[in-house]
Amino acid sequence: MLEVWAFRVVFVACVAVFAVQMATRAWLVHAAKGSLSLAKLGARLRRVLLEVVFQSKVIRERPIVGLLHAFVFWGFVAFAGYSAVHFLRALGAVDFTATRWFHVYAVLVVPFAIAVLIAILCLVVRRVVLRPPALGQTVSVESVVIGLFIATLMITFLLDFRLTGGLATRINWWVHSLVILVFLSLIPGSKHLHLLLSPVTILLAAPALGTVPDLDFEKEEVGLEVVKDLERKQVLDAFTCVECGRCQDHCPAHATGKALNPKALILRNEDALLAGARDTRLAEVYEAGVLWQCTTCGACEYQCPVGIEHLPLIIGARRGLVSDGRAPQSLAAVYNNLERRGNIWGFTSDQREKFVAAAGFESFDRTRHEYLLWLGCAGSFDADFQKALRSLSQILRSRGVTFGILAKERCTGDPAKRTGNEYLFQELARQNVEDLKAAGVRRVLTACPHCVKTLGGDYRAFGFDGEVAHAALLVAGLAGNLRTDPGGTVTYHDPCYLSRYAGGTAEPRELLRRAGATLREAARHGRRAFCCGAGGGLLFEEHEAGKRISQERFEQLQATGASTIVTSCPFCTIMLKGAQASSGADTQVVDLMSYLGDRLKAGAEPAASALAPSGEM
Amino acid sequence: MILAIAEQHGGQVSSVSWEAIAGAQHLSTAANGLKVRVVVIGSSVGDAAGQLAQAAVEEIVTVDHPALGTYAADGYVLALEAVIAKLAPSYVVLPHTYQTRDFAPALAARVDRPLITDVIAVKGADAGPVFTRLVFQGKMAADVVPEPGAPCFVTFQIGAYRADAAVRGASPAPVVPAIVPMDAAAIRQRPEAPFREAKQAVDLSQAERIVAVGRGLGKQEHLAIAEQLAGLLGAEIGASRPICDLGWLPLERQIGSSGQTVAPKLYIALGISGAIQHAVGIKGAKTIVAINKDADAPIFEVADYGVVGDLFEIVPALATELRK
Amino acid sequence: MRIAVCIKQVPTREGQPRLNESRTWVREQDASFEMNEPDQYAVEAGLRLREQHGGEVVVCSAGPARVAQVIREALARGADRAIHVEDDRLAEADAAVVAEALALHMRGEQFDLVLTGLQSDDQGFAQTGVILAERLGMPHATIVIEVQFADGGLRVKRELEGGWYQWVGMPLPALLTIQSGINQVRYATLKGIMAAKKKEIRKVAAPATLAARQRIVSLYLPEKTKRTEMISGTPAETARELIRRLREDARVL
Repeated sequence: MLEVWAFRVVFVACVAVFAVQMATRAWLVHAAKGSLSLAKLGARLRRVLLEVVFQSKVIRERPIVGLLHAFVFWGFVAFAGYSAVHFLRALGAVDFTATRWFHVYAVLVVPFAIAVLIAILCLVVRRVVLRPPALGQTVSVESVVIGLFIATLMITFLLDFRLTGGLATRINWWVHSLVILVFLSLIPGSKHLHLLLSPVTILLAAPALGTVPDLDFEKEEVGLEVVKDLERKQVLDAFTCVECGRCQDHCPAHATGKALNPKALILRNEDALLAGARDTRLAEVYEAGVLWQCTTCGACEYQCPVGIEHLPLIIGARRGLVSDGRAPQSLAAVYNNLERRGNIWGFTSDQREKFVAAAGFESFDRTRHEYLLWLGCAGSFDADFQKALRSLSQILRSRGVTFGILAKERCTGDPAKRTGNEYLFQELARQNVEDLKAAGVRRVLTACPHCVKTLGGDYRAFGFDGEVAHAALLVAGLAGNLRTDPGGTVTYHDPCYLSRYAGGTAEPRELLRRAGATLREAARHGRRAFCCGAGGGLLFEEHEAGKRISQERFEQLQATGASTIVTSCPFCTIMLKGAQASSGADTQVVDLMSYLGDRLKAGAEPAASALAPSGEM
Repeated sequence: MILAIAEQHGGQVSSVSWEAIAGAQHLSTAANGLKVRVVVIGSSVGDAAGQLAQAAVEEIVTVDHPALGTYAADGYVLALEAVIAKLAPSYVVLPHTYQTRDFAPALAARVDRPLITDVIAVKGADAGPVFTRLVFQGKMAADVVPEPGAPCFVTFQIGAYRADAAVRGASPAPVVPAIVPMDAAAIRQRPEAPFREAKQAVDLSQAERIVAVGRGLGKQEHLAIAEQLAGLLGAEIGASRPICDLGWLPLERQIGSSGQTVAPKLYIALGISGAIQHAVGIKGAKTIVAINKDADAPIFEVADYGVVGDLFEIVPALATELRK
Repeated sequence: MRIAVCIKQVPTREGQPRLNESRTWVREQDASFEMNEPDQYAVEAGLRLREQHGGEVVVCSAGPARVAQVIREALARGADRAIHVEDDRLAEADAAVVAEALALHMRGEQFDLVLTGLQSDDQGFAQTGVILAERLGMPHATIVIEVQFADGGLRVKRELEGGWYQWVGMPLPALLTIQSGINQVRYATLKGIMAAKKKEIRKVAAPATLAARQRIVSLYLPEKTKRTEMISGTPAETARELIRRLREDARVL
């Protein structure tokens, strides 16, 4: 009896500690702005099933470590019933421990316990001995302690089968139960809150990568300026972070010696929230300048196993700075160019008209043209990319795909949106949507992934619902084998906005294969590709801290030994070409369409028939 | 009578004055052969007047006063207003220099007469000469007529008339000093002596002529070829980004969207491919000349004059030609 | 310190203006408009002076109703209030007419300093500021790149041709035309745009008679259009031809 009361006291104490901490955090979530959306519930539930129950992302991105963690997780789930039954008995409520089904259940849990024990010991060794950089400079005592707790739980569970009663069994049981209760009270204040929160944050995370809600100017929204502006999901994110460091590992800024560290952003949010620093400016919560070092490549968000959305945080904080006039100098000039000339570089339209006339593009006419070919800023003014567009137009014409261009284009506003100048973005968006609708455009084709995301994604909220496709995806559906003779070794650099954001990794490779190229992959490719360094306004920032991201990526691609780097984004081309020129290397950098165009030109009969209607689809 | 206002600095007549004289002489033919006189004002302008006397004009009028030694807008307006009142010209012409822009509008406003600026051509017409000027950033040309009456002020765009097109006289024109009341106290500006800035830093954004080099240069030693050309043209040296990355030239010479943005009258790109980041930096240049081996180089899209060829042959040929 | 900045709304540099029926001006209906680019630098200079020395920045503009667009833009960048001399006849007016229309309403405001841009992107007279100084009875300096206050007056740095500079002292009040490109123009922030909606724009009328001093009798496209001219031949021939064209056609040598 004494035991029961003793247990009840301890139980209540630990639960109280747990509850108080949870209440603080719940209040912080409640006090935050914003609403939690469950739109596209089906997709969200599917993700919860795959990522939580089956631990798919955890395992896929770090297979061995991920599997070990998965065992620990599944073990926990398996254990839940066991601990619950014991606690009910210990509290003097109801006792199922003597039942037959409980004994069977306990035996079935044994393999889980062994798996958990082995897994947790491996993970502790990884933390303490191997010390991967992702986990930080110093060993987290809290994590080691919890790890040992888990080990203790498994050991005491297994021991229970060996012990035959009496004092040893009681002590073993108390150790087991105390560990659970102490663990419980530690959960809210540690990264282990993810045990409870991560299914929630995964459910609440937007289905599409990098979803940043529009600002409502009628409500005078200006973005995130101070800690209390953080939205509910962002508060949850701060508490759910498991400090695994996958985001940090994949961040191109962090990899090149810049101060930006996505993990640090989330953890500093947590610290600031718990410290009650509601009026502190976010720009002061983080290290100076880090908000402007982000290329919005999305690798952090893509890697995060618990559904944290870094991009809305970074872009939201940028909005707060921009609305106050605190954008970096390099961007102020870009905003002026966008405002006055409708393009990022400030060229006048006669440059574009020269190209349009020389390329023989027709003005879009909805009665004659299936597609609108959207040139974009690069297509209008960058001679290199214009070469690619000429190749593209030849391929399209030879396949009878009809297209026209808008007489007047202005920038989609992508750089404004990703750097937080929401007002400028909306101005451009509204005007473009007006023009698109007036021209009756239903399908858009473009060779710039940033334009794809903006026109095809961000513009939905402004009333444009046409289909938007990247040229590579369309062309892949058109052309058969382009060349049969070998086309040299090539490595393909996946643009972030095409691969990670839109999943378009297979089609460019397919086209390269059909053009006879031998493909060599960089270590980081596909949806894990390493950014070229142009996104998020960094195209305009020449004075990067640390190593240039473009140089780092160029070296990674060069290391494949390929003679040509092919990519399908004009900005990746600009960055990588710049890196190539500055390095003096021989490796060629070329846009996919230019590459295909060259292969077609140089080829003989196979090329001609390849694009004939009878080609394989 | 057409009165041309000459510009002098430190007693030296600037070449743009001859352009104004050429313009005045041309206006004369479009205006029924009105006579041309030249006025030069300042302090100790005897020499300047002597230089101007070579022009085929009716006379050189001088206003010599210590208060006019260093240019100040008020001083020039006072002196010229008096000269104009005395001589009653039908037209007053000036070269469209920074100095002219500083005082000519005030002078015209003082006498409440029209001023037509930055004229590139003059045409004769029954109702009187018509003046052509460029508008909308040079995209369009406008033929302008002033409201009737005298005088009408006109400034000529620099280069609209060639200084050597001014007709010289067989014998020197008479120099006539004009005595005009000058109240030095009425000059509200207190100008200090003009100065050149000590060049601590390279400021390509102010350079009128630039010779820029790119990867096509090949080796750092070859910079000498570009420097030679630049020297002959009185041009600054610029570079595309790779040249600065390689350390061949300091960062302040880098021209590009985040290096310096330049707007020279003449920009010569040697061995520069013209990638967009560089093209953005030079889009304000008035005349771009590109020399590159690669006919497909993007620089040819933005250049006004292009030469596809070996810069190691072309540049020396240019130097030879310039020395002539 | 009460600072006035005069701005003009002009057709965008971007667009290719189209002629009106009489071929004496452009068709306004198709045109888009923006703040004259040199005036942007004047606005920025005014805002910076206010940040350093306190006071207010009043934006003044003369033109049709549509001019309100650029006035709002200047207010969004930080100007405190505005004066709009509203009259359709001012759209094509020459510099003297505009200067007089502005002077009529600026006299009463007792400005300490008036700033204008160097010239406009449409007509490009480069006169309005200086004529305005004359009508306001103020001393002036043009192509100013730096402004200092000293002994109840001004000391300004003027840019001269060929890399020369000059400091000039002047009493206040005075008018300055500001050189383009001397500062980084700030962009209108979201907060600025929201605040601008509440700032005062005082509308006043132009003089009843506007005496034009000059008029355009014909507006047309000049012969030369932007084209790349390729020069070929032997190095010596190429060099000779290139230099000839630079001398005679481009007139840069």
